[in-house]
Formats: sequence, C-alpha cells, structure tokens
Amino acid sequence: MLPYISRRLLFMIPTLIGMTLMVYLLIALAPGGFSASASAAAGGGSPAGGDPRIAEAKFRDRFLLDEPVLVQYGRWLTRVFPVKFGARAQIDSTGERIYPPAELPPMLAVAEWGNAASIVRVNEACAVAAGAFVAAESGDPRRAQFRQLTREAKAAREAYVGALAHLRIALAEYATATQQEVLVDHRGELPGSQLGGLRLDAASPAWPAVSKSAATAGEAFVRASAARAALEASFESTPFEQAGVGIIPGVLSIGSPDLGWSRTKNRPVGSLILEALPITLLINVVAFPLIYLVSIPTGMLAAARRGSLFDVISGGVFIALWSIPVVWAGVLAVGFLASNQYLGLFPVAGLHATESSSMAFLPHFGAEGFERGWLLDLGWHLVLPVVCLVYAGFAVLSRQTRAAMLDNFNADYVRTAKAKGVSRRDIVLRHVFRNSLLPLITMFVSIFPAMLSGSVVVEKIFSVPGMGSLMLEAISLHDAEIMLANTVMIGCVSLMALLLADILYALADPRVSYA
Amino acid sequence: MHNRFGIKDFLVVVLLLAILGTQWLSMIQRDRQWPVLQSVAEQVRSLDDRMATIEARLAKGVPMSPSAAVPSDSRATLPAHDESWARPGVPVNWQPEPSFSNDPSKVPGFKVGGEWVEVFEGQPQKLVPYLYADVYGNRVLDRVCEGLGAFDPKTMQLVGVLADAWQIDPDGRWIRVHINPRAKFSDGHPVTAEDVRWTYEDFILNENIEADRTRSIVADVLDGVKVIEERTIEFGFKDALFSNILMALGEPILPKHYYAQFEPAQINQATGLLMGSGPFMMEQRAASPSELASQWTPGNDVVLVRNPNWWVGRAPIERQRFKVIKDDLARLVAYDNNEASMVLPTSPQFNALLRDRADFEKTNYALKWVNMRSGYSFIAWQCGPRGETGKLTPFSDVRVRKAMTLLLDREKMIRDIWDGIGLVAKGPFNPESPASDPSLSPLPFDPPAGMELLKAAGWIDRNQDGLLENDKGEKFGFEYTYATGGEISERIARFVADSYRKAGIEVTTRPIDWARYQDLLKSRDFDAITLAWSANSPESDPRQTYHSESMAKGRDNFSQWSSPEADTLIEKGRRTMDPATRMLVWHELERVIADGQPYTFIRVAPWLRLIKRDFGNVRMYKTGLSPEEYFFVGPTSSAAPGT
Repeated sequence: MLPYISRRLLFMIPTLIGMTLMVYLLIALAPGGFSASASAAAGGGSPAGGDPRIAEAKFRDRFLLDEPVLVQYGRWLTRVFPVKFGARAQIDSTGERIYPPAELPPMLAVAEWGNAASIVRVNEACAVAAGAFVAAESGDPRRAQFRQLTREAKAAREAYVGALAHLRIALAEYATATQQEVLVDHRGELPGSQLGGLRLDAASPAWPAVSKSAATAGEAFVRASAARAALEASFESTPFEQAGVGIIPGVLSIGSPDLGWSRTKNRPVGSLILEALPITLLINVVAFPLIYLVSIPTGMLAAARRGSLFDVISGGVFIALWSIPVVWAGVLAVGFLASNQYLGLFPVAGLHATESSSMAFLPHFGAEGFERGWLLDLGWHLVLPVVCLVYAGFAVLSRQTRAAMLDNFNADYVRTAKAKGVSRRDIVLRHVFRNSLLPLITMFVSIFPAMLSGSVVVEKIFSVPGMGSLMLEAISLHDAEIMLANTVMIGCVSLMALLLADILYALADPRVSYA
Repeated sequence: MHNRFGIKDFLVVVLLLAILGTQWLSMIQRDRQWPVLQSVAEQVRSLDDRMATIEARLAKGVPMSPSAAVPSDSRATLPAHDESWARPGVPVNWQPEPSFSNDPSKVPGFKVGGEWVEVFEGQPQKLVPYLYADVYGNRVLDRVCEGLGAFDPKTMQLVGVLADAWQIDPDGRWIRVHINPRAKFSDGHPVTAEDVRWTYEDFILNENIEADRTRSIVADVLDGVKVIEERTIEFGFKDALFSNILMALGEPILPKHYYAQFEPAQINQATGLLMGSGPFMMEQRAASPSELASQWTPGNDVVLVRNPNWWVGRAPIERQRFKVIKDDLARLVAYDNNEASMVLPTSPQFNALLRDRADFEKTNYALKWVNMRSGYSFIAWQCGPRGETGKLTPFSDVRVRKAMTLLLDREKMIRDIWDGIGLVAKGPFNPESPASDPSLSPLPFDPPAGMELLKAAGWIDRNQDGLLENDKGEKFGFEYTYATGGEISERIARFVADSYRKAGIEVTTRPIDWARYQDLLKSRDFDAITLAWSANSPESDPRQTYHSESMAKGRDNFSQWSSPEADTLIEKGRRTMDPATRMLVWHELERVIADGQPYTFIRVAPWLRLIKRDFGNVRMYKTGLSPEEYFFVGPTSSAAPGT
C-alpha cells in the first residue's frame, strides 16, 4: 500500500504542473491576456502629459508583461512550488515575500553608440554602487536602508524603461525617415530583433534624434544598473528574515508557496483565500452531512420497499426539488421567507445579525425572555443558504443509494442469508448496505472539491463572501493570480480526494488491493 | 463480533466531539469578549478625562453655553486676518469657517444618537486612502477624511475645509494654503503643513506604496510641496492649469504621525488603516503596527463611530454601519425589514414602490435628483480610422454623426429601459454644473431630418433593398460594441440596433468583456462603443477626451474627434483661473461638442435613494448627500420631509 501511495503522490506533481500550465496558457491566450487585469486595476485613463507609448512601456515593465508567456509561467511556478532554487526570498513584516531585484531589460546594443565602453561603465558603476553600500548594524536601520534603496531603484528603473521606449520609438521614426523597411510592432516601436537589419547612417538628418535618445537611454541604463546593484547588495545583507528552510545555501531551499498579489483587489491572494475559505467551509460542513443524512436513509427505505407509496413519493418529491433552479428558489426564499411583508422568518443576508458581536455565545433566558445568542444567530442566518444548497442534492444521492441497494438485493448472498433465516433488518443494514457503499464513496470524492469552490449563485443571493464570489469576481476581471491560486488549491484537493477514494475502496472492499 | 465499532460507540465518539467542539467555541467566545471589554475600559477612561476637564473648567467659571462663548462671532468681527504667512502682493482668499450646510440642531425634533445603516452592492476590499480599489472605499473615506477644500453643497463653489485661506498665483504656477489652526485629526493631533507635505511627497509619490492611480496623476502636474511654516504650505505646478487647484485642494490629507509608523509593505497590505479629520472615524482602529490584527477586514460590516474630536462640530448620529448585500431584491427586502436606513434602488424598483404602496412616502423618503456626481451614458462614434484596419468609418462625416443622434429616440429609450428615470444628456458637462449652459438643449428625435442628413452625406437606398448605400454601392453598416454582463446594456444594444435598422443601417452587435474594454479603447478597434462616465466634481479637464492631441494611440480621445475650434477653447479654458470666466468658455465648448457630435449623449442618471423617515434633516444637495447632518428621530416619529 505504501509504495502505491507514494507513487501516486509523486505523480501528482506533473499533473498539477500540467493543470496550472493549461490554465496559465488559457489566460494568456484569452483576449486581453494578463494585461487586462492590470489595466482594469489601473482604473483606465492615461496620464495627461508625455507620450502614452512611454507610459505604456513603464506600465508593462512594472508587471513584467513583456516577457514570453513561458518565462512568466516559470516565474510563477517557482513562487508557488515548495522547492525553491537560487537565492532565498525574505519575509517582510507583513509576511509577504521579498525577492532579489529583477533583471533590467537589456539596453539596445549598437557599436556606434560606444556600447562596449558603456558595458564597462555599467560594470564599474555597479561595482562602485555595491562597494559603497555599507549595511547598517542590524534590525530597523538596515530595513530602512533597504526601503530607501528600493524606492531609488524603482525610480531609476522606471526612468530607464521610459528612455528605452523613447529610443525604440526614435529608431522606428528614423527607419521611416530613411525609408528602410523594418517591422514595427503595433505600438509603433522597433522590436530589438529588428535592430540588426537597420542601416545606421550618422549623416542622415534624422540621426541626431536617435543618437541623443540613445545617449539618454545609456545614461539611464548606467544609473538604473547602479541603483539595482546597490539594492542587491542591500538585499544580500538580509535586512529581513529569510523565507523557508535552506537545504544547500544559496542553491536549494524549501518554503511555503507564495500565491502572489491580486491586482484588481490590491491585496495578497493568500489572505483573500484565507478570508473566503472558512466561510465556504462552514456552509458546506453544515450542508453536506445534511444531504447524506436525509438521502441515504430515504434511498435505503425506498429500495427496501421498492414500488411502495413511499418509494414513489420520495422519488417524485426529490426529482421535483432537483429540477427547481437555485436562482429562482433563492429569490423566492428572500422575497417570501425573509421579507417582513410576508413571513419574515429568516434574515435576508449575511452570516451574523448586526448586534451579534454584543450577544452572549449560547442561547439562554435573559432579562427580556429568550435570547438566541451568537451561535444560534449564526445557525439562523445559515438556514436559507444551506437549504438552497442541499435541496437539489437529495435526488442524486438517494437515487444512487436506491439503485446500488437494489443491485445487491438480487445478489445470491442475499438469497442465502434469507434462507439461513437472517432477519430482514440485518440483511438490509449489515449486508446489503455495506456492499452498496462503493458508489457512495465515489460520490463523496466528487463532492469534496466542490465544497471548497463554493456556490456562486447561493453566495450572491445571500451575500455570503465565500470562495464562489471570490472566483466569480476574479474571472470577470481577468485576475490571473486569484484564478491560478484557486486552480492550485482545487487541484491539490481533487487529487488528494481521488487518492483518498482509492484507499477507502480498499478498506470498504477486501477484494480491492494495491499491493 | 464483540469488539466491533457499534452504534453506541459511534454515539459516544460523537458526544465527545460535540463536547470538545462546544469547549472550543466557548473559548472563541471568550476571545470575542476581550476587545469589547478593552474598548469599554478605554471609553470609561476617556469619559473620566473629559469629566475632569469639564470640572476644571467649571471650577474656573468659564461660561458653559456655546452662544455665550462667541468664539465664531468674534472671528467675523475681527478687523483683519493675520496675513504674515502669505506671499506679498497676491490677494489672500479667506474662506468661511466650515460648518454644517444645514445645522441639524436647529431642525425640530433634533436628537443625538442612533445608528445609520447603508448597504453596499459589492464587497469593499480595502479602506485605505489612495489604495482602495472600488467605489465603496470612496464612500467610507468621504466620511472619515477631509481635504484642504471641498465643493459647497449648496453653491458648488470650491470652499475651504482644512484650509482657512489660500493664495493662487495669477499665473497659475503655485498655490499657497493656510491651514485652519483649529483643524485636528480624530485623535486630537493638529493638522499641520507637514502632514500635507507628507501626504503628497511620502505617501502618494512614494514608489513603495501601491497608490499608482493617484500617483500617475499627481506626478504629472505637481512640482514640489513646500512647508512654509507650521500651518502654511505651498504647492508648485509644472503647468498653469485650473485643475491643479482642484488636485491640490481636493485630495484627503492623512495624519503623518499615524501612517508614518507603518512600513510601506504594511500599508500596502492593510485593509482598514483609515484615519482622518472628518466627522466619523473607524470603530476598529489599529493604533500602531502591533495592533494591525485589530483593523477592519473584508467580510465584516464597516462601522464608523462619531469622531468626538471633530473640529467642525458634532455629528448627531452615533454610528454609521455599512453592510454588503449583493442581490438587488435582497437589498430591498433588507431595507423593508428595517435592517438598513438607506438603499440605492434600481429604477424599476423605485417606481414600483411608489406605485404599489400608497403610503410608502409616509415612512420613507424617495429621493430622485440630479447632482454633480450623476454620470452620463453615451455612444462614442469612431471619427478617425478604426484600430488595426485603419479604415475610415462612415462616422468620420459630421453629418452622419448628427443623423445618428437624430435617429435615436433617447426619450423613449429612457422610458423603456430605465423606467422613465433620467434626463436626455446633451453634452459632457453635468446639467447641474455651472459648466453646462442651461440654454442649450439636446438634439431632438427627428428621423426625417436625420435621413435628410444621411442623404446629403451620400447614404441613399440606391437599389431599393431597404438598406442605405453610398455612391460606390457599399452598404452602411457598423459594429456596436458594448460590455457584457448587464441586463441594461443588453437592452440598450437591442434598442440601438433596432432604431438604426429601421433607418436602413446594418448593425452588428459585439459584446465584450469589461476587462478588455480599456485595451479596446486604447487600440481604437471599434466603430461605435457605449460607455458611461461618472463624475466627482462639477467640472473636469476636457482635454483628455476632446483635444485632438489626445488622439494619439493610448490616450483618452478614443473617438478620435478633432476640432481646431474645440482645441482652442480647451486650451483657453484650462488656463483660465477665474471660475466665472472659465464657465463661459466651457459653455462655448459645450456648443462646439454638440455641433461635432463625437458622442451621442444618451442619459444623465439621477441619484435614486430610499431613506427611512426615522432620520431627520435629510436633504438633497447638488454635491450629493451629507449624512453627517442627519439625526435619528426614532422609528415612530414622522419627521418633516426634507427639501
């Protein structure tokens, strides 16, 4: 059994990678791609001054959108994957990871601009900046140092990215002016790959604009590299605690997954999920046992008294319930059961009454008669959402139980048991039911991931801030980070549930073995 | 068989688990009581302090009645203000002391206390100034923070709030602001010039703080903030524009002593770090980095309590609560069940309530009015070459654009789609704003005139197939782009398509994800697109959307409309510092835009609000509502209706 389980566990890794890669590619290929959520978060509207193409370049650099999709996926994977390579991230005071500063986009290399000299200059400037950095003794001053350097490096990088975009635009304009046919991308810039094919003519009247722009960009590159080097030196002085556990220093470490930052909500994805998940779990932990407690006995009874009035009525009622759309039922429940104009039996929305924070915990008799207390208040708020979640589930499970039981009723061993004189009660409970468990286990496995993903409709109607609403908002705003984090989570849980099902099969049925 | 796990064992285990569960839950309950106990203790302490101050005052024999104290009246009769802080030679613009627009204590039935409950349609994620990402953050922020200035609810003039005077450079390159010496934050710290400088230079312009949205605007125009003396601050601007003044005076001012104790990363991650100088303050406060866990987090009601130190006065209502109810119907039911004091109904809901319940207005205010925050919806026509194809659309001809407006019955649209609630929009300026010319009326619905214009532009049904063609035999067809996901936008799309098909124009509808809208606007890849702008102030800089220089790809003149006349007016208007003269320029611009019809303006959306009559002093202002003036009368009373 153990080798089997460990083999299955190892197979989960490629499966998860495949799943996330699929989702990642789907998001990247969808119209708008990754930039959609970022630009939605930026709130639209472009700055009033300056060339919008330069602003766009800065924006794309900020979210590293210019890299190929697979490189971006690789970066995401290293953040999420628990085994990390390279320098360890550090954890700031809020628990967020800080990574070593990102590489700068390369400067366009053209010999005429004295780039060879400029590479020397860049290295020199970096060495000077890194050498000039003296880490503060420890603790707070060192962190303050790091923050100041981060601010400077960000500003320098932004200036450089802007200058680089300016240079690309200048080159594209130069190409047009000198009537050279090169590919210009949809932003009206010259892609780096086209540079080699460009004939550079210092005598052309369009040239001075290019060389001026190149000089500015070169200077900006030197400055940005120096600022980055200083920041890197500061990072290496470990102003913050290192994340995870190191295995081989500087090469291999193990750390918890970093789920990233949601751009549309401007918050870490991890804490968004931590807020939503308990709520969804709470509702489902109440709802699912309820489905099982109602439908399994009904299914058993219906099978035992096949064709009786009970069988027909329970089947009919459950199928009727199953066919009511949740949207409609939810709206009716709010309109008639919750509205004071009609019955007003239940609260309209949310999980707690306004005054619940000042309530006692358990129900009790107080000065004003019965007081329901915090716990009962929560239960009272849960009634409508839970009812809406469960009523459709009865039909499937009870029919499944009934069918499995009927199969077994016709089996030989039942006849033998009957012939032996075993009581009917024992036949149903000890023999037939135990043997009908397998399909129920399969059902449970498929239900388990659904418990975590939450119900979009119910959560919206009853204003429950659970996983369903989080995911729905993420999808409509193309928030890739939330979608991916959710994929990883649901993926892990589904795979674990499948494994659990296989183990349970072996426990429930001695004939199954994985030796 | 004896050692099998039987039903009895199962029951024992369940019982055990239940006992453990309740034990655990009761431990949670204990924990819940701690903050309550602590806040009670804190309140008792602060009450003690205040009692001590009052006793000390009593002992000194200071008059207790505010009318006897007359600090504000004496201020008015002071011979001259101290102007030593000002730049010489430039007139100082002294502002009236901030106060309630309509003093609640003078309204009959005035009472102190009570709770006001508002409902949000979506979950706010963050209540941190400049970092919040939704309209709900703004609604809470408005009650907690104050800027140096604001628009007066009655006159819509820019008046001082934290500022008691300012000087504006006649050339528009700087503004020097003097802060009211009485102004203080909710924790009692005075508002100083350093707080203002810090808010701009070390918060908004700090790259480590995720305030990009405001930063990109501020960084473009601001050229340094200088502290002149303790209460005097000077903003420098890169260019002389009227909007600079709004930017400098309008942004909320943050307390440096509070926010500076948090690291940028903590501020970026925070959900409820909100403190200001306004009439209310957050109930759940994190006073220092060690208390970050006690801040408000999404999923809980937002609760504001009255700011006892509010320097302007005292808000009558004790607490303001904001709940989240996402479903339209559930929101209205909650309001009906008295779980909310105010709700934003949909247009059909609003009309149905007034129609079906005769006595509805006896217990509720049903408010409907256009104010400076009312937005407008429109269809933008592609006046230039379309996106990647570079093809000119029929709308490059002004006659066609005019005809499109004449062919669209906007009155009927409002009647059918919005249940008759709304006004036909006529231009980019809000009809309540002084920037809009009241004598200008929208183009009428006049299909014959529209067909005539199309004929003049060469679009005639040449082969009698019911569709219009030009002289090359090309059919008149266009693509109508709209955002998916709303019933209203679907209905608009159907109405628009039907209207133009009747005139012989082929319309294809193209629903697009909202998340992609920005990209589409930037790339100009559309023939006609529908959008709605919302507003936050009576005027905004029209350069972004109407100047021909904003036609460059990526900027906001996405309909690529260019008019030299409009360009001149825009340049003139945005450099005119005097509001009255500027309004005249905007009036002219409004006419030029109406002539050019780059957009077909559809509807100005009035505000709809249902408010319980349990509250008094409810008034509709040109700036919106002022809940800090309301007072709670109690459920049985029927207060005098607001005006």
